[in-house]
Amino acid sequence: MKKIIGVLIVIGLFGSGCVKRAPSPGITDSEILIGNVQDLSGPMKELGAIIPNGSNMYFEYINDQGGVHGRSIKMLIEDHQYNPQKAVVAIKKLIEKDQVFCMFQVIGTSPCEAIRPILAETGTPLIAPATNSGTMSDLTKQAGDLIFHTDTGYDRQAEILVDHIMEKNSDAKIGLVYQDDDYGQNVLLGISRAESKYGVTVQKESYQRGAVDFKGQTMNLLKGGLTDVIIAGIVREPVVIMKTAEAMNFKPNFYGTGPTIDARVGKMAGSAGEGFTATNWSYMWNSDYPGPKLYRDLCEKYDIPQPYIGLYHYYGFATAMVLVEGLNRAGKNLTRNSLIKGLESFNEWESGTFPPITYNRNDHAGVDKVQLVQMQNGEQVVISDWLE
Amino acid sequence: MTDILSGFGQEIISGIALGSIYALIALGFTMIFKATEVVNFAQGDLMMVGAYVNFFFVSTFLSNSGEPSAWTFMVALLCSIIFSVLFGLFLDFIINRPLKDAPIFSVIMATLSLAIIMRALVAMIAGPISLMPISPFGDNSITIGIIVISVLDLSIIASAIILVIIFYFIFHYTKWGIAMQATSEDPVAAQLMGIPIKKIYALVWIFSALVATLSGVLLAPRIALLDTSMGFLGLKAFPAAVLGGFGSIPGAIVGGVILGVIETISLGTLSFHFEWIKEINDIIAWFVLIAVLMVKPNGLFGIEKVKKV
Repeated sequence: MKKIIGVLIVIGLFGSGCVKRAPSPGITDSEILIGNVQDLSGPMKELGAIIPNGSNMYFEYINDQGGVHGRSIKMLIEDHQYNPQKAVVAIKKLIEKDQVFCMFQVIGTSPCEAIRPILAETGTPLIAPATNSGTMSDLTKQAGDLIFHTDTGYDRQAEILVDHIMEKNSDAKIGLVYQDDDYGQNVLLGISRAESKYGVTVQKESYQRGAVDFKGQTMNLLKGGLTDVIIAGIVREPVVIMKTAEAMNFKPNFYGTGPTIDARVGKMAGSAGEGFTATNWSYMWNSDYPGPKLYRDLCEKYDIPQPYIGLYHYYGFATAMVLVEGLNRAGKNLTRNSLIKGLESFNEWESGTFPPITYNRNDHAGVDKVQLVQMQNGEQVVISDWLE
Repeated sequence: MTDILSGFGQEIISGIALGSIYALIALGFTMIFKATEVVNFAQGDLMMVGAYVNFFFVSTFLSNSGEPSAWTFMVALLCSIIFSVLFGLFLDFIINRPLKDAPIFSVIMATLSLAIIMRALVAMIAGPISLMPISPFGDNSITIGIIVISVLDLSIIASAIILVIIFYFIFHYTKWGIAMQATSEDPVAAQLMGIPIKKIYALVWIFSALVATLSGVLLAPRIALLDTSMGFLGLKAFPAAVLGGFGSIPGAIVGGVILGVIETISLGTLSFHFEWIKEINDIIAWFVLIAVLMVKPNGLFGIEKVKKV
């Protein structure tokens, strides 16, 4: 009889919720510990310094207002030097030793792809991977259910650019210069879909990351008699390619995907960069939307150094807003599952920084449209509506 | 046919310009190796430091004087050269002298460490933001018939040729140059013959830092964005030095130009006409290197050294 009473008491305690559940890692009454793996000393160290700084600015703003459900956000950052193997070591350290609650950002397509197994093994969500690669929102891939992407995929960006080009000129001869890595592969995926759609062949030229000379590729674009060229590069590549083409008196319409939206591309390319059109997947940091306005106010409030302010810093800020909204929606009893549920409740959520975001069990893609931004008289000008 | 020929001609000229960049870096490798038999793996990073220092001087003068002028660039270049002389002396003092009697392997490891330290220090001092260097020649280019070449590329080619001639002359026809060769051959015997080898070593490091700075100054505007990864170009110039014959001054420019031309043509005409070439673009230069070394193990201009026991 005593045993039966004991069992009933235990069942009763479970039922009434009096038994304390095992706490989620990285969560205390006053803090949420999150992890970020950036390139702090490799080829993308510039972004590695700027992007998390933008995120920390927003976290500081939230913490100053009392945090999320009374908990302040603290972000630990490790360095992967843009090396996928080092990314795995860094994320293992953050999850197993530092016991972070979730991962945030992690820069680069290849490093993000490399850490999928450990995310799946430990059930750690990754919010806003800092890459445009469309593979990040592929739910059929390992850990796909744990990754919440914010940016329009490179493949979609490339497809939209081809749509735009063909709409303007159905006889267009299109070329593509792409980085020979995961970034380029994702762009090629979109280009191949566009090729099937329009029954055209795009001339493709590749380069290795870190290349400084693009004469051979530019000569081939010239030989191909192209009218429109898409550059799937970062900053240096479009600048050097456009300058080289201008010197050869070769003047197609130039377009860029992903990081080429950086305002420095047009500035450094000078007259060669006039008319360069890039895809943009968030509201422009210097526009009048509420998100960018708040961003500029906070930059002033927190005394952000001038060279940091701009596209990438704003991106860090904008993605931090997505995470904070997810944490808010997860409620006071924060667990990894409740964070996922919180994020999957986004329905056309308007952050003011990105176009409305919807996440649900079948869709972790975030933004899926772009607007086109063109260099005109040395300034970036938005020339289209949001294109899907 | 004319199109193919003009494309080919353009690629060869562009390849020569790219190769001259490799040649300038390879020349730095060659200098130190020729006198000390040490392979200086920090050569690319020395160039990066030179580019940063020159950027600092140019931007300081521009902030004082406003509009960029030829004088701004000349004075900045002069200051950078003075810096490189002092920096070369400093490197001799911290790397070469303490390790004078150490095995060559230790000195090579020290140069590798130096490269990492310089990269980290520059990143700490200059910050993470990439810099936008200004070309002293603007975006001007010259058209000769159907071939276009930028003034910056022309100046790189001219600098490579002039520096190779100057250093070839110094090494082969001056007392100091011959003393350097003697030091490389047998430091002890050279010292016994009255050659001040400490001065020789210091001079070699100064020359090397000087060449690195000049190449950094010329290369920075060509690569559009200046960051510490510029130092990794040294690794691309290394096969050029090996191809030409490690330790040979004319070999540095020949090796550099051959690799530059092969790279440009394989990325250009060959890739355009043969799709499969695109797949092997990265390794073509290495194929050529291995093929040359199989026939001439000391490189094109290398001298076979026979050591008697």
